[in-house]
Amino acid sequence: MNDIVKLGGILLLFSAIAGGALSVVNAITKPRIELQKKLVLERALTTALPMANKDAIVPVEQDNMLYYKGYKTPDKQDLVGYAFVASGKGYSSTIETMVGVDTTFTITGLSILQQVETPGLGTKIEEVRYGESTPWFQDQFVDKTWNGLAVDKDGGNITSITGATISSRAVTKSIHDGLKQLEATVRQHHSDM
Amino acid sequence: MSISKELFKGFYKENPVFRLALGLCPTLAVSNSVQNAVGMGAAVTFVLICSNVIVSMIRHGVPKKIRIPIYIVVIATFVTIVDLVMAGFAPALHKSLGIFVPLIVVNCIILGRAEAFAGKNNVGRSFIDGLGMGIGFTLALMALAIVRELLGDGKLWGIPVLSSGYEPVLIFILPPGAFLTLGLFLGFFNWLDIKMQK
Repeated sequence: MNDIVKLGGILLLFSAIAGGALSVVNAITKPRIELQKKLVLERALTTALPMANKDAIVPVEQDNMLYYKGYKTPDKQDLVGYAFVASGKGYSSTIETMVGVDTTFTITGLSILQQVETPGLGTKIEEVRYGESTPWFQDQFVDKTWNGLAVDKDGGNITSITGATISSRAVTKSIHDGLKQLEATVRQHHSDM
Repeated sequence: MSISKELFKGFYKENPVFRLALGLCPTLAVSNSVQNAVGMGAAVTFVLICSNVIVSMIRHGVPKKIRIPIYIVVIATFVTIVDLVMAGFAPALHKSLGIFVPLIVVNCIILGRAEAFAGKNNVGRSFIDGLGMGIGFTLALMALAIVRELLGDGKLWGIPVLSSGYEPVLIFILPPGAFLTLGLFLGFFNWLDIKMQK
């Protein structure tokens, strides 16, 4: 019995020291981690809505749909487009994509926020070919609307990645569905635009 | 054993991956690109050195009966530190290593060295042992990653090195390719060992 108390006490002591050390590290790294998260979101929004002022993109929630409104000037005049997060089940993860459209719901840009697909196959949704500066798979979506948006294997206009049809389809379908929903939501509230 | 021998044993003679066959799960998982291999190797080396030093420092105060839970607490603490620092300062690497950073906690190399070496040796030697084993692990990961990335993707460090006419053998960057490559490497080193003993 005594032994258990003694051993438990020692273990408690070690855990307490470890916990203390971790809380210090957490306090130091927390602001950095949050900053990184904010940067990722900001970068995704500017990629999705290149024509909007980066300080004039505001989140809106309507009918259970969260999206962003992008304006041309910092004082939030001149609505130029919308952005939203499309999410779809890929091969080994949920793929989240930030998609930007102009006021006619034509895609202006997109950026993958999160994916843990098969390295070398599914991860090619983010591949930037050597010598190029933007990911070729995502570039295909620009200037398209939800109408007819599908991978080539489903008779659509998006060339899927060799060996990663599931990932390609997940991105394409999530954008198609999300965009359709966005258009419906925004049009319904047309009066407050 | 001399200091240099202590350091170099991890490179070849007691290489954690190729000779001791320890820590194979992260080896199989993150050896698909050289970048991942180096990032993972660096993270493991850091944790290995820190946990070896701490375990060696506390080795006289730790009761035998609860040494394993205490080692795990020490290791988990350093892994969490690596995870937080990486998320804050190297987000791209953190994203690509993903779940394998927290899994360093259960990497048998680290607990193995704590139990087999650091718990019985002084701080200096434990530090050298951690460094040597960490570098050995990194080298092994890189060796696998070079083969896999080159054959499976036609690239090295993300840069295409084979001509554009080369059709990548996809299986090498997929899990079966990891087993194949690792098996061939293990076989090669065993063969080399037999040759050298003759």
